[in-house]
Amino acid sequence: MRIVLIGFGNLGRALVQVFAEKAEILREHEGFAPKIIAAVDDSGAAVEARGLDMKTLVNLAKRREKIEKYPGAKAGRSALEVIESVDADLVVELTPTNIKTGEPGLSHIRKAMEAGRHVVTSNKGPLVVAFKELDSLARKKGVEFRYSASVGGAIPVISLARRLMSSNEILEIRGILNGTTNYILTRMEEENVPLEMVVREAQELGIAEKDPSLDIDGIDTAAKLLILHNAVLGGDLKLSDVEITGIRKVTPEAIRLAKEAGYALKLVGVARRGELEVSPKLVPLGHPLSVGGTLNAITFKLDLAREISIAGFGAGPMETVSSILADILEIHRSLG
Amino acid sequence: MIVRMVLELEDVPGQLLRALEPIAKFGGNIQSIIHQRTKKTPTGRVPVMLVFEIGDKVRLNRVLEELKSRKIMVREVGEKVYTLRSTVVLIGHVVHADIRLLIDRLNRISGLSVSDLSLLMGEFGKESSARITVAAEDLESLQRALVELEDFCRKKDLLLIKSVEGAG
Repeated sequence: MRIVLIGFGNLGRALVQVFAEKAEILREHEGFAPKIIAAVDDSGAAVEARGLDMKTLVNLAKRREKIEKYPGAKAGRSALEVIESVDADLVVELTPTNIKTGEPGLSHIRKAMEAGRHVVTSNKGPLVVAFKELDSLARKKGVEFRYSASVGGAIPVISLARRLMSSNEILEIRGILNGTTNYILTRMEEENVPLEMVVREAQELGIAEKDPSLDIDGIDTAAKLLILHNAVLGGDLKLSDVEITGIRKVTPEAIRLAKEAGYALKLVGVARRGELEVSPKLVPLGHPLSVGGTLNAITFKLDLAREISIAGFGAGPMETVSSILADILEIHRSLG
Repeated sequence: MIVRMVLELEDVPGQLLRALEPIAKFGGNIQSIIHQRTKKTPTGRVPVMLVFEIGDKVRLNRVLEELKSRKIMVREVGEKVYTLRSTVVLIGHVVHADIRLLIDRLNRISGLSVSDLSLLMGEFGKESSARITVAAEDLESLQRALVELEDFCRKKDLLLIKSVEGAG
């Protein structure tokens, strides 16, 4: 499979390393031999029709170098031009998320589909801004479009949902979809300290961003919930359709009161068809959603199976690559 | 009316059926039966908790008479039970918001009562938090309580945190 890799940050680098580490198993068990014929980031592009040298790529990844350092790479060559001009089977889009414009990922994905390439992405931005458009475009062009890594990190939320849907009606999806806020709330409970203090700790540990507002104001959870809604329940809702309350006002006293009554306080996203809400909620201790630390968890309410829940790590490069690789392998299998 | 009753039954086959027959006979509709085997009495009897709906007090008395004639021991009878509970947490200037008014408004809802209220003050000048548990006879009363809570919190600018389970 000839792959164009767009984005060489934490995820792009992790993917290259996993390809190299699992090369033998992937070849033997799946008959899968990925060839990265182009790798692009904001510094430039490296292109080699016979496949870039994996050892060199892995070394760049380990040293956290940019693509322009790849021997023979062209500085400043744009992703759009590479997607259009390089004949590939699959474009893997792993650029940073912008949930307002969806860019640059949105243009990359459009261009790739127009050119008849299958697309795998972890990028929430394009999915939040234009899921319906991209989904239709993929169908029209007859290409595969997979985005498991955009929601729930390592947890196969979307593929589980699709499988459940074959026999059940999904009545409701509830989830803890943001590891950072879950970590913050867990630590507030353990240490009985205010939010600001735990946010600082999370920033020091690299769990929270310098500007943590996307997480603590519930916007990241809303974005993931929206993707789940549009992709699984169906529809074309926008981020502005989500009723969002973040955790900024949550106090250690509130968490203590909840705990005394047998509840954990969690930031929960709830999706019913046409209805989306993100807000702090009381989750009974022992409930499948009462996971601690940076864990994520999702519960599906179903007409036949009643409830099915799944939990795991919602972020981190290797965890997320687990989903990206699963998507790539599914496309590989579907191509036969 | 909904009745909660605790019986003590001999731990031999057929006892439960003997106890349920009178309830059925007078039109009672059984909602739940819980055997409390782990709470056996020193004389070896098993407490069984029943919740059932029955037309009126006259019929309930008939049931009790019949149980007595069958020598079935009735340990407790409660007239009304709240089968549903919901807990919420409020964050904000709860004390200034006159929470007594809210409690009164909730208690005025028929089939509902506030069963727990706990308050924790924040640091001086900071926001406080309150936990309220309401007990209700049915889903409708519970939903009315949640509407009342939402309304109050919106007006007083409090953050209302509901449970993921139950109504709302």
